[in-house]
Amino acid sequence: MFIVGFFSWWYGPGWLQRFGIAKQHISSFFDYFSIDLLIKTYFSPFRQISAGGVSGPIAVQMRAFFDQLISRIIGAIVRTFMIVAGIITIAVTVLVEMIKIAAWGLIPLAPIVGFVLMAIGWMPWLV
Amino acid sequence: MTFDYHSLRAEKARIGWMLRKPTDMFLVVGAAALLAGGLALLSLGAAVGWLIVGLAALPYMLFVWYRHDLHHLPTGKSGSIDSVLSGDILGQLPKSPSPYDIAVATGRVSSGLFMAARFGISPNMLQEIASKDPAAMEAFWQLADDIRKNDSLKHISGSVCAVALVRSFAGYEDILAQIHIEDEDLDEGIKWQDHLRQLIAEHSSPKRTGGIARDWSFGYIPLLTRFGQNISAQFSGGGRLLTVDVASHREAIDHLIETFGTGGRQNAALVGKEGVGKTTIIHGFAERLLDAGTDLPSDLKFRQVFMLDSSALISAAPGRGELENLIMRVLSEAYSAKNVIICLDNAQLFFEEGVGSVDLTNVLLPILEAGRLRLILSMDEQRFLQIGRRNPGLVNALNRVNVSPADHKETMVVMQEQLIMTEIQRNVTYMYQALKEAYRLSERYVHDLAMPGRALKLLESAASYSESGLVTINSVQQAIEKTLDVKVSVASSAQDRETLLNMEDLIHKRMVNQTRAVSVVSDALRRARAGVRNENRPIGTFLFLGPTGVGKTELSKALADVYFGGENRMIRIDLNEFVRPEDVSRLIADGADDPSSLTSQVMKQPFSVILFDEIEKAAPEVLSTLLQLLDEGILRDVKNREVSFRDAIIIATSNAGADRIREYVERGYQVEQFEEQFVNELISTNQFRPEFLNRFDEIVVFRPFTKPELVQVLDLIIAGVNKTLTLQKISVIVDDDAKLALVDKGYDPRLGARPMRRVVQRAVENTVAKLMLGGTVKPGSEIRITKELVDKALASQAVPMTDTPALP
Repeated sequence: MFIVGFFSWWYGPGWLQRFGIAKQHISSFFDYFSIDLLIKTYFSPFRQISAGGVSGPIAVQMRAFFDQLISRIIGAIVRTFMIVAGIITIAVTVLVEMIKIAAWGLIPLAPIVGFVLMAIGWMPWLV
Repeated sequence: MTFDYHSLRAEKARIGWMLRKPTDMFLVVGAAALLAGGLALLSLGAAVGWLIVGLAALPYMLFVWYRHDLHHLPTGKSGSIDSVLSGDILGQLPKSPSPYDIAVATGRVSSGLFMAARFGISPNMLQEIASKDPAAMEAFWQLADDIRKNDSLKHISGSVCAVALVRSFAGYEDILAQIHIEDEDLDEGIKWQDHLRQLIAEHSSPKRTGGIARDWSFGYIPLLTRFGQNISAQFSGGGRLLTVDVASHREAIDHLIETFGTGGRQNAALVGKEGVGKTTIIHGFAERLLDAGTDLPSDLKFRQVFMLDSSALISAAPGRGELENLIMRVLSEAYSAKNVIICLDNAQLFFEEGVGSVDLTNVLLPILEAGRLRLILSMDEQRFLQIGRRNPGLVNALNRVNVSPADHKETMVVMQEQLIMTEIQRNVTYMYQALKEAYRLSERYVHDLAMPGRALKLLESAASYSESGLVTINSVQQAIEKTLDVKVSVASSAQDRETLLNMEDLIHKRMVNQTRAVSVVSDALRRARAGVRNENRPIGTFLFLGPTGVGKTELSKALADVYFGGENRMIRIDLNEFVRPEDVSRLIADGADDPSSLTSQVMKQPFSVILFDEIEKAAPEVLSTLLQLLDEGILRDVKNREVSFRDAIIIATSNAGADRIREYVERGYQVEQFEEQFVNELISTNQFRPEFLNRFDEIVVFRPFTKPELVQVLDLIIAGVNKTLTLQKISVIVDDDAKLALVDKGYDPRLGARPMRRVVQRAVENTVAKLMLGGTVKPGSEIRITKELVDKALASQAVPMTDTPALP
């Protein structure tokens, strides 16, 4: 019963749980980098410095416009970096989680694999 | 209900029980040690290292299995008891379990121990009451499953088992009575345990909080950061335990979301009494805005709530102009930032002049009227009305959200949730009984806050009186007793019981006869301290009728001294000072204006004797005011605050009909024989209204003293003189014939025994003083007062005895 109970969980609900954990990890990185929000606000001024409508002489309005333009350019640069960093991190996370999910199925075989490797004396680093 | 010992879930539960802490830690350590050892061997060229590395997978897999499956076994679908029984209990049961086995198992699991700590249903108690007969299990399982279904639970947890075991016991009502709970409280306990389990699960579950770029497109807010507190920031780290989830709070938060999510004026005023939870609602609102998973209008998502600190603002800009300028800069920064909701907690601080507050209506009103800057104000109901009266425009500009005080059920839930933080901070555990008692006592004694704040306040102070880290009924009662100086607990100490049982003797040590009066007040106190009185009335209400100088006031003083702890525990109101209708306002005046008003004195000292002297002289309006007090033990002061008289003894005295009493006595009647007729005469002669007299628990007629009683009064007075002379180590003895002479001189049919003390002063105290000053008596000596000395002293100072009484 012990063996049946263990294997039926490991290759059934346990493996599904592993999928769930992987999904949670990936979505927490999605949340952290919030790429959708970065794209949506790609051209918004960074930290709203000099934000808001400015009234007054044309020179003041022009200065405000250029201030905002600079703020938007800075924002776009920072967001570009963050989007790239986010995409890379998420891609790596997805890969790592996929490996973990695949490895999950192989872990129970580890003692047998270990025994076989011991039996054949496989130690390539000693050659 | 069937129990299948061999089901897969039961097998897994047994393995899970085997692998529980600390075994699971050994598995981790074992796996790590095998892996490290195997790798070390491989590095040394030993092929056996492969096997050891491979074997490391075994403890690791067991650990993972335990953590993700066995630790919290999901419920099965078979419908048998083993599919719904909590894994930690199921794993401990033998093939053919008895209720006793369940009791043992329950005592080892956290949910069972929860019932032990919170309700006093200890593992030992469960084992004592549980049957050892396996045949009793069918009924037990059925009962446990019924409880599970009634309380809408997935599992039969340890708390359910504990309750089922208690309810299976034939005399379980007695057990509940012993631990001071009702049957339905057991279900509340199960729900509390399950709710805490869910809270912990929620607290540890990941939340979507918007990520690193959440605030990048919003403004830079250095001023706001300096003068405000970002209450949203505390939820970023998962501050779920700072809010409560009750229906009234959910409604208020929904109302706020609707107000800010639609196009109207972007402000809201949370109006409610202090303690109703306005600040907690604001915290709950801030938390909801940060949860991306909730259904929110997009322009509200991730908005941050900043609470402005009025004292920081005032100290940074002491001048009015500077302050207004600073406020404008802070608010315009908030508006430009576009993701800030400003909160003015205790908003009255910004709308009225005072210490720590400043009237900024001129600055804030236009902003509120424009309705573009998002603002939440929280304000006390009364203050809101006052500010509204001064400035109606302000009230019109605000979207009002009323917050009502919580009812009993909600208050219990709030206490259960909010106390988690207090328990962690104070390192105590609150029993359920303490929560119930806090509700009951705070409702009665804490007047300056509304529910649930008042109950929470009392519970927090009760933590200081915990017993071995456990906050019990006793701790709550002690907190009230120590802070308000009242007695709320049933008399339990030997000294208390002794005092109560010998109350008559103790009172008679300082007053003579009037046995009926002494006995009725003593009975009232015994009823109160035995917990058998009506708690919605004063401890006792008595009307003492009789001529002056017969001991009516003295009994009140004796009572205050013997039971309430000193004569200063008597609040005396001379009603001959309340003869005009408008005097009612003096009776119920605010303590800040008139500290001698009845309501303010009782607020300060609720546990006392209240003496209404010469009640017949009071204006009818004053007596009508006292009707509610006598009936319900409640009086409202000018500020409409309820003042409780429920821990006081109310004594009213009157000389009305004193001549009739003397007549009856002179004609040879005993008090018991004419008492009823005398009271009827008082009503028929319009001296008292029947509805007023009916409000008293007892009407006691005091009769004039007889000569032998006057001698006893004299003895008491001389005992008092001796007590005074103790410091000089001198004592006074009065001859019997001297006593009779003193009684003759000291008794007046109209003034009773009142002149007696003056006579003693002249005849005894003056004589003693002269002897002491003349050096004829020395410390340690005894002065004998003879009839001759008395006659001599009284003859030399003869003055009329029937002038104004010198004594109370």
